[in-house]
Amino acid sequence: MERYDVAIIGTGPAGLEAAITAKVRNKSVLLLGGKGSSDKVSKAHTIQNYLGLPDIAGEDMAKTFLDHATKMGVEITEDKVNAIYSMGQYFAIQCHNGDYEASTVIVAAGMTAMKPFPGEMENLGRGVSYCATCDAALYKGKTAIIVAYSAEDEPEAEFLAERAEKVYYLPQYEYAGSLGGNIEVTLDVKPESIEMKDGQAVLNAKDSSFTANGIFILREQIAPSQLVPGLEMDGNHIKVDRSMATNIKGLFAAGDITGAPYQYIKSAGEGNVAALSAVSYLNSVKNN
Amino acid sequence: MVKKITTDEFNSMDKAGVSVLDFNAVWCGPCKMLGPVLEEVSEEMADDAKFYSIDTDENPDLAKEFGIMNIPAVVILKDGQKVDMNVGFVPKDALKDFVTKNL
Repeated sequence: MERYDVAIIGTGPAGLEAAITAKVRNKSVLLLGGKGSSDKVSKAHTIQNYLGLPDIAGEDMAKTFLDHATKMGVEITEDKVNAIYSMGQYFAIQCHNGDYEASTVIVAAGMTAMKPFPGEMENLGRGVSYCATCDAALYKGKTAIIVAYSAEDEPEAEFLAERAEKVYYLPQYEYAGSLGGNIEVTLDVKPESIEMKDGQAVLNAKDSSFTANGIFILREQIAPSQLVPGLEMDGNHIKVDRSMATNIKGLFAAGDITGAPYQYIKSAGEGNVAALSAVSYLNSVKNN
Repeated sequence: MVKKITTDEFNSMDKAGVSVLDFNAVWCGPCKMLGPVLEEVSEEMADDAKFYSIDTDENPDLAKEFGIMNIPAVVILKDGQKVDMNVGFVPKDALKDFVTKNL
């Protein structure tokens, strides 16, 4: 498998600037994300304080950014990242459409609005899980609750149901599937909290509650600490130093994901710093 | 080296000292990633602990015995007694620290 020098997650100002800088420094770049920059850029009405681009509409700014990146030979790989694993000498990046490897990673995925349910983090790994296929073997003859956020989760429910005795499937999206058998689909359940009671996991919703051996929460957005296992956080943001380095060697972060102020030019600036830090890290590894 | 074992082998083996048990499954992505990381740790800590890999699909009884609900799960045994557990993928340094603090 090709091992990239720098993998960058996110195509907003931080990710694009990081990719451009890494290219300028002659590194091989894997840029993962959406083709159209971030929604936060393209849907902005006007931006007044971006140096060199006065009073620009978000749509035009996104186009300017993407044109610049294209001109520098930056290509966007359209894929969704499931997890980034620090393997010691390199990073393994698991995506929807395949796996990638890189020597360094810059996380510039923006700020996620995801808020865990009360009781979710406390019971993670002790009844609460984010990967139904991972834990399926442990649910032979047991019951499980799946809180699902997209139709893509339906095959995961079926896989789990092959082993589990019963699966409660609670779609949080417009459900139009055909799950059946030992999968009980209940619509319009709004989960409020999670607790463990007598070794059973209980999901409390507004007017109902569900009890099973375990709860799976299959969100589309992943919290950074789930995206990169072992990553140190500062509240909802990734903890970084002035060189944009995280607690994991070779992994950097830039943009809104590192914290306020949520400004386009701050993101781009951090992307630049992160890329240069990744380049010095690559050089230091090579010299050792 | 991480040695793959079955429930029978686990029950009959010598459990003196520190043993590190990696509960996993073949279709579990994070488990697949943790495998090589644990292998490296086991090489570096070969004098301190013994490392074992247990497929939860083939050995459900053992997984149940140790209260494994989610994998990958790394369980530390001292003279056969469970003293600590870590659930989910962890980077190499963190995994090494986790084993070291339980020696």
